[in-house]
Amino acid sequence: MSLKKMTRRDFLKLAGVTSVGAVVAACAPEPTKVPAPKPTDAPKPTAVPPTAAPKPTDLPKPTTAPTAAPKLGATLIGKLEGPTIVRETAQFPKTFKEAPMLADLVKAGKLPEVAKRLPDPSDLMVIKPLKEIGKYGGTWRRAFTGPADHENGNRINSADKVLHFDYTGNKIVPALAKDWKVSDDGKTITIYLRKGAKWSDGSPFTANDFLFWYEDVYLNKALVPTPFFEFQINGKNGVMKKIDDFTVAFEFPEPYPYFVYILAGSTSMGAGFATRGAFQTNGGAYCPSHYLKQFLPKYSSEDAANAKAKAAGFDNWVSYFKNRYSWALNPDCPTMTPWKTVSPINTPTWGMERNPYFWQVDTEGNQLPYIDKLTMTLAENTEVANLRAIAGEYDCQERHMGLAKLPVFLENQQKGNYTVRLDPAFNGSDVALHMGNAYTGDPEIAALIRNKDFRHALSMGIDRDQLNEAFWLGVGVGGSTAPSPDTIYSPGPEWNKKWCTLDLKQSNDILDKLGYDKKDGEGYRLRKDGKGRLRLEMITVGGAFVPYTQIGEMIKQQWKKIGVDVDVKETERNLAFGKTANSEHQIITWANDGSEMLFLFARHALPVDTAECHMGMAFAKWYSTMGAQGTKPDDPEMIRAFDLFRAAFGKKEADQIAAAKEIWKIIVEQQWSIGTVGQSPAFMGVRIVKNNMGNVPERQVNAQHARTPYTSGPQTFYFKS
Amino acid sequence: MIAYIVRRVLLAILTIWAITVLSFLIIQLPPGDFVTAYIATMSAGGAGITEGEAQALREQYGLDQPFHIQYLKWMGLIAQGNFGMAIEWGRPVLDVIGDRMVLTIVISLAAIVFTWALALPIGIYSAVKRYSFLDYFFTFLGFIGLAIPGFMLALIVMYIGFAYFGASVGGLFSAEYADAPWSLERVWDLITHLPVPAIVLGVAGTAQMIRIMRSNLLDELRKPYVMTARARGLSETRVIMKYPVRVALNPFVSTIGYLLPYVVSGSIIVSLVLSLPTVGPLLLKSLIAQDMFLAGTIVLLLGVLTVIGTLISDLLLMWIDPRIRLGRQ
Repeated sequence: MSLKKMTRRDFLKLAGVTSVGAVVAACAPEPTKVPAPKPTDAPKPTAVPPTAAPKPTDLPKPTTAPTAAPKLGATLIGKLEGPTIVRETAQFPKTFKEAPMLADLVKAGKLPEVAKRLPDPSDLMVIKPLKEIGKYGGTWRRAFTGPADHENGNRINSADKVLHFDYTGNKIVPALAKDWKVSDDGKTITIYLRKGAKWSDGSPFTANDFLFWYEDVYLNKALVPTPFFEFQINGKNGVMKKIDDFTVAFEFPEPYPYFVYILAGSTSMGAGFATRGAFQTNGGAYCPSHYLKQFLPKYSSEDAANAKAKAAGFDNWVSYFKNRYSWALNPDCPTMTPWKTVSPINTPTWGMERNPYFWQVDTEGNQLPYIDKLTMTLAENTEVANLRAIAGEYDCQERHMGLAKLPVFLENQQKGNYTVRLDPAFNGSDVALHMGNAYTGDPEIAALIRNKDFRHALSMGIDRDQLNEAFWLGVGVGGSTAPSPDTIYSPGPEWNKKWCTLDLKQSNDILDKLGYDKKDGEGYRLRKDGKGRLRLEMITVGGAFVPYTQIGEMIKQQWKKIGVDVDVKETERNLAFGKTANSEHQIITWANDGSEMLFLFARHALPVDTAECHMGMAFAKWYSTMGAQGTKPDDPEMIRAFDLFRAAFGKKEADQIAAAKEIWKIIVEQQWSIGTVGQSPAFMGVRIVKNNMGNVPERQVNAQHARTPYTSGPQTFYFKS
Repeated sequence: MIAYIVRRVLLAILTIWAITVLSFLIIQLPPGDFVTAYIATMSAGGAGITEGEAQALREQYGLDQPFHIQYLKWMGLIAQGNFGMAIEWGRPVLDVIGDRMVLTIVISLAAIVFTWALALPIGIYSAVKRYSFLDYFFTFLGFIGLAIPGFMLALIVMYIGFAYFGASVGGLFSAEYADAPWSLERVWDLITHLPVPAIVLGVAGTAQMIRIMRSNLLDELRKPYVMTARARGLSETRVIMKYPVRVALNPFVSTIGYLLPYVVSGSIIVSLVLSLPTVGPLLLKSLIAQDMFLAGTIVLLLGVLTVIGTLISDLLLMWIDPRIRLGRQ
C-alpha cells in the first residue's frame, strides 16, 4: 500500500516536471482531438506517399510556458502515424536484398535466391517504412503469459489477413489480397491474390488454398459444426468460388457489401490463417492445403488419420488437425506471416524467426521483416512482466503493461533506456456498467433496471472526473459508451456526454418521481415493497487490466449522494461470465472494447452475440435465433436497434455508417450500459519502447480490428544499434 | 505389524480413488467449462470467438457430455497410463507437468534444506539457552518470519533486488539461458537464481520449525530422564542430542506427509509472484482455465503424494520413536 502511495506522489511530481519540459505536446490538442482521417476524406488508395509530417523535434518551441498545466496524457500521446503501402507498380523496387542470415543459406544452396522467393515483381507488397529504411538483424524481446496468450504473437504477425486496415484504423487496405471488388448488386465480393506469393516452406500460395479451406475444412462438419455467422447474411450461407488460380469470389444470396469489412476485421473469416489457427477454431478463409491434406481422412482414411493422431498423443484426427493448423503450437506449420514459430507457445519461451518467403519488401527492395527473431519469455503473472519492462528487458511491449504503473514506468525511463508511449483507444468506456437488462430475479429491481429513467439517474449520479483522476491518472475521457468522435461511426461528440455528466439534482429528482422518495436513517432510498433499502448488486471481476472492484467501490460512494445503495461483489471471472450468460446479474463492470467497430464486434455494445453478452443474454438468444429462442425484449427501442443492426450488413457504406450512428444514439439514449471513463490507454495502450528501436510510431491505433500493433508495421521495426 | 501395513496400503488405495472422484467433481463444480473460461480470457485480451466456434470446441473436448461420462473417459485414459491432453497447452498432461517437475523439485528441496539447516540448530540452541540474548533475537526474527506472508516477502525481495542490485526479476534463469540446453553454465545460472526463491519459500517454514523445535525440546529437557542422564555424568552434547532432540524430532517427521506434495507443487502464490516455472502456477492457471485433465491430474498427484507421505511418516515414526514401536507390541 505504502509503495503505491509513494509512486502516486512521485507521479504528481513528475507530472509537474514533464509539464514544463514537454511544451510541444502541451500546445497540441487534447488526446481525443487527435485527428484521424475519416474514410471520406482519406487519401485514395493510390495516393501513396504521406504528406511529410514534421518530426516533433522540428517543431518550434514556444518561448513561454503554457499558462494552464497540461494533462500528463498530452505529453505522452504523440502523433498518430504508421507505415504506408505503395500501390503504384511504377514505384516498385526492381532489385532485392535480403537479411544476412538468409544470404548465408542461399550461398550454402539451402534456399533459392531472394528474387525467386518473392512474388512476381508487379504483385509485391511494397511498404514505405514510417521513418527510414531499416537495418537487418536482432532479436525482439517481449513477454507473454502462457499458451492462452497467443494473441500476443498473432497480432504482431497479422500480415496474413486477406485485407487490412491502415494505420488510422479507418481505411481498408490490401494485405494478402492485392485488391478486391464488390459487385454492383453487393452479392459478390472478389479478391485478387498476389501471383508468385509463397508459404513459409516455399510452396505456392494460390486460390487452391482458399478452396481447400472452404471445401475440406469449413464444410467438414467434424471440423466446423456450425457455419460462421460472419460468412452468412440474414442467416443464409455464403459460398466461396475459385475463379482462377489467383482470384477467389465470395457469393451471397443477399447483398452483403459489409463482407469487405469482415475480411479486413478480426473475424473468423478475416483475421488470417495464423490468428484463427491459434484460436483452434479452423477459421481464416484459407490454409496451407499442401501441408494439411495429410491429416484429413479424405486424403487417406478415417483409420489412418486417427492412427496418425494417436501416435502423436491425440484422441482423434480432429484434435490433431486443429493442433497442426495452429502456427503457435506447431513449428512445422507453413505460414504467410513475417515470422514463424521455432519453439512453440506451450514451452517457456515462444520463439519465432523470420519467414524466408515473406512477400513484403520496403521501398528499396529489402525483403521484410528487418528483425531476425522474436523471443517471448513466459511471465507467470503480469506484475513480473511489468517489473521486467521497467528493468528494460523488453524491446517493445504494449500488451500486459498496466496504466496504474505509469509513474514507475516514467521514473525508470532513463535507467531502462526506453520511452513510454500512450495509445488511447477509441471505445467509449474501459469500465462500462453493463445493466442486466434481461434480469428477472428480484421483480422490483428488475422493473427498475428496465426503466430508462432509472438508468439515466444512475448514470448522472456518477462523478466521472473523480474516477478519471483516481484510476486513469487523468488520461482518460469520461462519458457514455459511444466511441470517440474520431471514429467513423461516432454519432457526434454531444453523444459522448449525453446523460453522462454528473447532475445530482436531476438524478435525485428522477428517483423521487419514480416514487422512491422515502429514505432510511442513512439517507438511502427505501424499496416500495417494504423490504428495506433500495440496494443493487454490482459484479466486478478481479485481476483484470482495470481495477474494476475499486472503481465499483468509488461508484458506490458516489451513488450514496443519490441515495442508491449498491453491493460491490468481486467475482471470479468465469463465475461472472457464467452469471451474465444466464442473465442473473443486475450490473456487471466490463470493458466495451471493440465496440467502436459496431458491426465487427457488437457484443459489448448491444445484446446480439450469444458467445459473450453482458447486457441480457436472453435477448441475445432471441436476436441470434431470429426469435426462435430466448426472450423478446419489451423495450421497443431495443427492437429498433436490433432491426437497424441486422439490416446494416446488407447496406452500402454510407447507409451503413448512418445506421451505426443511429444505433449509437439509441444506445446512449437508452443507457443499457452506463459508460464511465474510456478513450484511454488502459487497455494495451501503455507502450514501452526501447530507445534503439526504429520506425516505431509515436502513437499507434489501439483497436482490436486494427490488430494493434500490426498496423504500425512491426515488420519494419528495426534496431538502430 | 505386516497386517497393519497391508491395511494402511489398502486404505491408501481407497483414499486415492476417492480423491480422483472428488478432484474431478470439484473441478467441474464451478459454472461454465473450459470454453467459457476461454471466451472470458479472450475477452479480457481484446479478442473473441463466435458462438458457433465455441460450440465446436465444446464438442471437440467432450465438454457437452455429462459428468460421469467425462470422469469415466478420464479413468479410462489413466488406466492406459495416459492422463489426457492439457487443453490449453495442446500437449499431453504428463509432458506439461514433466517439464516443470524437475525445477519444482529443485526449488522445493533447496527450500527444505534451507529450512532444516537453519531451524534445527537454532531451535535446539534456543531451547538449551532459553531466555539468552540470542534466543530472544531468534524468537523476534521467528515471529517476523511467521507474520510476513510469503508473497509479500517475495515482492519486497524482488523490488529491492531490482531497484538496488539490478538483479533480473523473477524466474529461475537469465534470459540467455532460459531456453538453452543443459550445460554447466546453465546449472550455475540456476544456482545463482536459487537462493531468493529458496529463502522466500523457506522463511515462514523456518520460523515455524524453530518454534516447534524449541517448545518440544523444552518439554523434554524438563523430564527426569534428562536429569538422570546428567547425573550419570554424560557429556552435555550427548545428553541433549541423543535423547531429547530425538524425541523432539517427531513433529518434523510427521510433516513429511505434507512435505512430499509440497515438493512437487511448491508454494503456489510465492511461485506465481516470483514467476517460477514450477507446478504451482500451472495448477492455479489450469484451475482458472478449467482445464480439467491437467488440473485433475495435478490434484490427483498431490493427493496421492499426501497419502504416500503420510504412510511414510507413519512408518518412519515407528522406526524413530521406540515408544510407538514398543507400545504396539
